[in-house]
Amino acid sequence: MIYLGYSTAEKQQIVADYCAVHAIKQTVVIAPDRFPLSVAGADQVRYADVIMYVTFYRLLQAIERDTLIVLHECLRTQNRYDLAYNCIRNYLNRTAHCLVFQTLPQIDERDDFMVLFDWVTQSRWKREHFSADLIRAEARVHVREWPLALTRLDVPTSDATRLKYDAERARLFDGLGAKDPHTLPRNLYLLGGRDKAAYIAARKPAGGQLALFAAAPPARYVARNQRLNLDCVTTYDDVEPGGAPYTAIELPHRFIDWCDFVSYTGQAATEVLVADLKADQWYFERAVKWQERIHETYTSLRP
Amino acid sequence: MRPTQVYGHSNVLDAARERIAFVFDQFEDIHVSISGGKDSTVLAHLALMEAQRRGRRISIFFLDEEVVYQETINMVEYIMEQLAPDNVIPLWLQMEFNLTNATSLTETQFVPWEPGKHTVWLRPKKSYSIKFPMWDRATQIVADKNKGFGFYDVFVNFERCYHNTAFLVGLRGTESPNRWRTVSRHPATIGGQPVYWATPKADNFSLYPLYDWNFHDIWKYIAENGLRYHRIYDYQFKKGYPLQEMRVSSLIHEKSFKALVDLPEFEPATYNKLLKRAKGIALAQETGKKAKLFKAQRLPKNFTSWRAYRDFLIATHPDQAKCAIMAQRFARHLDNEYVARQQCRQLILNDYENNLPVDNQPDPRDNWIAYYREVL
Repeated sequence: MIYLGYSTAEKQQIVADYCAVHAIKQTVVIAPDRFPLSVAGADQVRYADVIMYVTFYRLLQAIERDTLIVLHECLRTQNRYDLAYNCIRNYLNRTAHCLVFQTLPQIDERDDFMVLFDWVTQSRWKREHFSADLIRAEARVHVREWPLALTRLDVPTSDATRLKYDAERARLFDGLGAKDPHTLPRNLYLLGGRDKAAYIAARKPAGGQLALFAAAPPARYVARNQRLNLDCVTTYDDVEPGGAPYTAIELPHRFIDWCDFVSYTGQAATEVLVADLKADQWYFERAVKWQERIHETYTSLRP
Repeated sequence: MRPTQVYGHSNVLDAARERIAFVFDQFEDIHVSISGGKDSTVLAHLALMEAQRRGRRISIFFLDEEVVYQETINMVEYIMEQLAPDNVIPLWLQMEFNLTNATSLTETQFVPWEPGKHTVWLRPKKSYSIKFPMWDRATQIVADKNKGFGFYDVFVNFERCYHNTAFLVGLRGTESPNRWRTVSRHPATIGGQPVYWATPKADNFSLYPLYDWNFHDIWKYIAENGLRYHRIYDYQFKKGYPLQEMRVSSLIHEKSFKALVDLPEFEPATYNKLLKRAKGIALAQETGKKAKLFKAQRLPKNFTSWRAYRDFLIATHPDQAKCAIMAQRFARHLDNEYVARQQCRQLILNDYENNLPVDNQPDPRDNWIAYYREVL
């Protein structure tokens, strides 16, 4: 069974109920470091360790027919021939009891969902692409749709920034050589940072207002790195759940990093600073299209 | 869902048994070519069961390249000596020929069973193997004069020694479009009826009774019949090899040298012997899957373009005769980074035979670069 978008307490309850109904004697929880799922008496396995021999052979011996395998936020690859995917597949061949918990149904394309589908169907349909009919016929998918939303906050840039952007753009294209062309947007996206820092400073409440809004938590921002040197800015690796919502200074290039951000912080709606530079526009529009793809997948999975 | 195959009324196993019975009806001489892999193991078993049923003997043919897994040899012994020994005529060829050595630019041709090197052969020759050519060396066919007497020449000359003989091969169409083409390109007429899973070859026929089997059909047959199988598959499976990469063959040619990377782990004793036997093994073991060397996926940092790297490799190639063949071919290619990278790979692997052909297309990065020029 696949559960999308459930809370931690709900997941724990689902596991407990499943164990009681199916007389499960042993539970193995596989989860990335960042997404632990506490289950009483369970064997906790790090996702990064599933490919290690020391884990692989131990689990192959330990997993029996009455073992439940819980895969928690394990959609880390889009490749259905990936080594970690294959190792998990081997564990799942030893038991029919499997629960898959994931926040979002895909990393980028909806075919990514088929990784989760393969796990609960013992890879019988490994060569098939996403098909709502096939999924409905072969697996039970419980969906709690996350109301993803991106709101743009337009940031005007200075003439100096725009000139710098044009110069850097020309330099990057001219010196690309054999480099990966995807480095172009990554590098150009960073150029609006200084103007965004000024925007953040201007957005801070003035001294007189502080007392009035003393109960409100301070605004928090997330960026790719700490180059802006601001106390209110943190990186995607260091975000924390709870508190005020984060405003994104930049969106990550890889969608899996954005999925991690959403899943870890629980923040479905995010404001994004969008400078009036073409790279910023491109990143924002790309993220909006990604969001639309996720909604389409949710629609397809609805009964 | 789009069906990938059209299913008839019979299953692939019954169909294969019928095909093999047909071959036994039509031919007096039957040879089964084996490699020690899963497909040929299944084919040999099916053919030997039919031979046993009819009380006939068939030839099991194995061309021993010397540089193979020890487990391959164990499998060949199993098929020849244990499956149905009374029905087997063993044809185990252990003779010298030229094999491409992709791991070294100074020893580009490896000669299995090379005379004078018997002290470092991977193992002694089999007592009952065929150690000398069965044909006249003076009139033998050599397809590529640059290479000399090669792997495929052995097959061609070996088959010329026979007439009206059925050569059964465990080729499956689902493995690749090339294999499918091999099976279906020239259907044969045998006993007055068209046979779409066979091709005529001079006086003989190549037949592919497993042509419609899938990967899983093979494993199902092995499991249900309790057959022994190549242990390397187990190791590859546990290491997460993709299905299309789970194969066993020679260890050093340009399509299989990647097997050297895991060889010390899978068969340390074979690796140890191979280090003494052929040049370039340690380097290929260390770098066979690295992006900067054999795979030529990442440009070494002292070059700014694949074209510059290619020109450097051409200028410094140790075997200028072979390099000239490649340079002549490159002159007909497009001049872009995408093509140049593949040319570098051919040069590094010394693939003058063009076994890993260059995809002579415009650079796919160009589309991305054009796109980013527009949107950024």
